[in-house]
Amino acid sequence: MAPGTINHDLFENLRLELRRGSLILAVLAALRKEQYGYTLRKTLEEQGMAIDEGTLYPLLRRLESQGLLLSEWREEEKRNKRFYRLSADGKVTLKQLLAEWQSINASLNGML
Amino acid sequence: MDLMDRYLKAVGKALPEAQREDIIRELSEDIRSEMEDQQSELGRPLTEAEQQALLKQRGNPLLLAARYQQDDRRVAFGRQLIGPVLYPFYIKVLSFNLGLTFVVIGTIFLALSLSGQHIRFNDILSSCLLQLFIQLGVVTLIFSLVEKSLTKHPDRWDLSGTCGGIRLGVKIEKDISTPPDRSKWISRFESVSIIIACMVALVWMTGVQSYPFLILGPAAAFLKLAPIWYQVYFPIVFLTVLEIVRAIINLVRPDWTLFRAVYAVFVHCGGLAIVYFLIRAGSWVIAADSAGGGTSSYANAAQIVNQWIYYGLLVTAILSTMMLVVRVTRLIRRPRQGLGSPRITEPANGN
Repeated sequence: MAPGTINHDLFENLRLELRRGSLILAVLAALRKEQYGYTLRKTLEEQGMAIDEGTLYPLLRRLESQGLLLSEWREEEKRNKRFYRLSADGKVTLKQLLAEWQSINASLNGML
Repeated sequence: MDLMDRYLKAVGKALPEAQREDIIRELSEDIRSEMEDQQSELGRPLTEAEQQALLKQRGNPLLLAARYQQDDRRVAFGRQLIGPVLYPFYIKVLSFNLGLTFVVIGTIFLALSLSGQHIRFNDILSSCLLQLFIQLGVVTLIFSLVEKSLTKHPDRWDLSGTCGGIRLGVKIEKDISTPPDRSKWISRFESVSIIIACMVALVWMTGVQSYPFLILGPAAAFLKLAPIWYQVYFPIVFLTVLEIVRAIINLVRPDWTLFRAVYAVFVHCGGLAIVYFLIRAGSWVIAADSAGGGTSSYANAAQIVNQWIYYGLLVTAILSTMMLVVRVTRLIRRPRQGLGSPRITEPANGN
């Protein structure tokens, strides 16, 4: 590799790693308001945090099994949809994570 | 069954059973919502090519299903050999092979025990460990090759199979458009399983030729295979290789169902002929020359084992004949058509 050129795969891996943690924060923040999977995906996309369904749905299940989300199947527009929202634990965790993120952001701003 | 149903069916095959229905319902809802969004944007229903593109965007069904695996189990020696995607299939094949092997070993030891032979625990343990080692090595090697192919070409999949379409690097069709009746196509999972099972069987049969203890266990010290097995060895290997060739062809052309049906009848007849010659032989294990003293009790053990094998062969012959009759009847009643379904053409965009 010539000096100064970027190894694309390496950059992609680092970028994904950086985004992974932020995505959890974004999902938790978006679910302060109850939504079902597809509208959540659209909301995140509109906010510049696009996430593919193969990542989003397993993540939602994981967060639910960790007690941070609640979900229920409900009929809307004559179709059954699974709605997600933050649980009480999720609200507390989101608050803590946001504080942590702001602290990291402030530190980074100081360094850059 | 429409494209979305086939895609979801392929995903479902590799999902954890407890959550399968729930996950499929949710994914189905997501796909429908996305399709409706696109339809309202375009002001018309989506064409098949557009539906196809939407599903392709979601990626290989096997990889999608793997993201729901929470235990993330894999096989690794330094580097990863078998990842979470193939791990459940690996465990299924390995369990089946080992189960079958242990049943054979158990039967032999039971026969020996009933004939009055003294069986030591160490003998049973060493036979089981040896089989475990061989099966583990061969199955792991084959699956690690499949894993390598899947990692290298994650985008090579289609919806013609029912397992999420492991394509093993063979890219013939690039289209997932609906053929006349794909539900009857041969599952690629089935083809891959047959290839793996036949290869394991070939390795094992080759080993048995030189090392009879692979089938007789410690009884190989006083029993040996009768000459008939050496006479039918090459015909059996030939039929196994034929089956591998057939499975490879159906892996590439899962729509060649008539080809498989005709081929299976010929291979089946070959198998029956071998069973016939085996039954005619009358003796399948004999006391080894090196058995020395106690030859009469070894001859007695051989007699008991032979009796078991005789009944086993008779049952095999009866069941096999019945299956052959069913196969031939189905073949005759089958509607007239070519060797397989018409080949699917590539889409204009070449995707």
